[in-house]
Amino acid sequence: MNLQKLETGNTSFDHISHGGLPLGRTTLVAGSSGSAKTLFGAQFLAMGIQLFDQPGVFVTFEEQIDDIRNNLKSFNWDIDTWEKEGKWIFVDAAPKEENVVAVGDFDLSAFRVRLERAVQRCKAQRVVIDSIGSIFTQFHEEVHTIRRELIQVALTLSRLGATSIITAERLEEYGKITRFGVEEFLTDNVIILRNVLQKEKRRRTIEILKFRGSNHEKGENPFTINPEKAIVIIPLSAMNLKHTSSDERVTSGIPALDDMINGGFYKGSINLVSGAIGAGKTLLVANFVKGIREKKERCLLMAFEESSEQLYRNAAGWGIDFKQLEEEGLLKVICVYPEISSLEDHFINIQEVVESFKPNRIAIDSLSALSRTSTDKGFREFIIAFTSYLKHQEITGMFTSNTPLLAGGTSDTEGNISPITDSIILLRYVEMSGEMQRSIAVLKMRGSKHDSSIRKFSITDEGANIGKHFEGLSGILTGNPMLIQVE
Amino acid sequence: MHVFQLFINGHSPSSIEAVDTLLKICKENLDGNYQLEIIDIQKDPDKAEEAGIIAIPTLIRMMPTPVNRIIGALNVRSRVLAGLGISSMHK
Repeated sequence: MNLQKLETGNTSFDHISHGGLPLGRTTLVAGSSGSAKTLFGAQFLAMGIQLFDQPGVFVTFEEQIDDIRNNLKSFNWDIDTWEKEGKWIFVDAAPKEENVVAVGDFDLSAFRVRLERAVQRCKAQRVVIDSIGSIFTQFHEEVHTIRRELIQVALTLSRLGATSIITAERLEEYGKITRFGVEEFLTDNVIILRNVLQKEKRRRTIEILKFRGSNHEKGENPFTINPEKAIVIIPLSAMNLKHTSSDERVTSGIPALDDMINGGFYKGSINLVSGAIGAGKTLLVANFVKGIREKKERCLLMAFEESSEQLYRNAAGWGIDFKQLEEEGLLKVICVYPEISSLEDHFINIQEVVESFKPNRIAIDSLSALSRTSTDKGFREFIIAFTSYLKHQEITGMFTSNTPLLAGGTSDTEGNISPITDSIILLRYVEMSGEMQRSIAVLKMRGSKHDSSIRKFSITDEGANIGKHFEGLSGILTGNPMLIQVE
Repeated sequence: MHVFQLFINGHSPSSIEAVDTLLKICKENLDGNYQLEIIDIQKDPDKAEEAGIIAIPTLIRMMPTPVNRIIGALNVRSRVLAGLGISSMHK
């Protein structure tokens, strides 16, 4: 049996929750302080009004209403107007300045009456109560009473039939669900927001712990707070491998390399170029960009290592005119320092550019630079989500990665990415007779034959030049080439 | 001069108890020198909204300032007197 859901309007959340929040039920959203619980709730209401014309009630037990209004202003939600139109009602249950003492038995019936009136007055379909933990601190000597009364509040909510969110504090990122054990009576639907500090980097994740009687994605999904879209989740676990594979080939921009890979890259494939510094990675990228000419494609180039001036100059040196391509609207070059934002934000930004520019190709130079901004785990997740996204869009990708050693060797970046790439091209230095020579080899090419030889590779004024294979030489990939005597 | 607002919910037991206790205190300790407004949230929910009332019963001492609040059935008289700042010797 599958429970009915209410589309929240946050596309990425509706994706991982398989359709939204359980309709007419209460969902507990638990998180440590600063984990974006209030924002999650406010976004739920704002989206409801903006997209579905569903009015909402926001109950605050913690922050003062004016503070909430101010904090949410940056997201372009016109709460003031919605309040005037009666689409958004605040219920103020925040602590008062006055001193409060408790003498004798009490109940929260005044709160329930006010909540019910607000819901009825605007015909609310969405309710947010933020955050329930602070009512325990307001009445800290009466925990049993509060617990008993909150059960009544939960019953009121379910009687009103609005889809609601109750937020609650937790003290540890991995431990008891909430600080005051409210999950004991709000057990059906639980979402956990985390804000974990790992290796000096903050990582926000959302986990749907349970939706009773309904499917949802399991495990943690990273999310970011976007200045325009508020909470955007990177739906990791919801990625699937059901994308179409094309038989169509597109040129790498270098005819000799196309020959090595049996006619070009597959359209929509992800291709990795691995090499040490100066081995010719950016040259391959430049040719990949040039390759769009053949079929009048568009390419997005994300450069994380060089400025656009450097990039244009280098490309011009190889006879490739980026400026011309850009003027024709075929190329878009974005140069950013990887450190300016988190990996999740980079992902959202790239997605936005892809949606507006609609490129057929994307080149990233280099992934290694991008990997600096995150933990290993975070980076691996990014790569999986990103490649899956590109495949769904049928965008052909070329990523570069730096190897730390001049000759031979692999990098951590590659370890993360190589299993999900369709082809890997190695650029390696070969030390031979007191000379550094460059080599190129195709390590893997999914679904196709490829040249298995290690070939000479040189960079000339005309660009890349692929020559014959290294005869009688062994051990190039290990970095210790040896001449083999052929008898 | 003492000015009070007492928020109650119909005839709930704790509401009745709070009204009784407060009337007794006013009579015995304040010599009629007080104003008391009893507000039933069922009849006048707007006032509860304005004052941001959550718990029932809630007693607000408006005067003398500073304003303070006592929630509950007010069944421990000495604590209510202390909370309201009324000396029990004041007769």
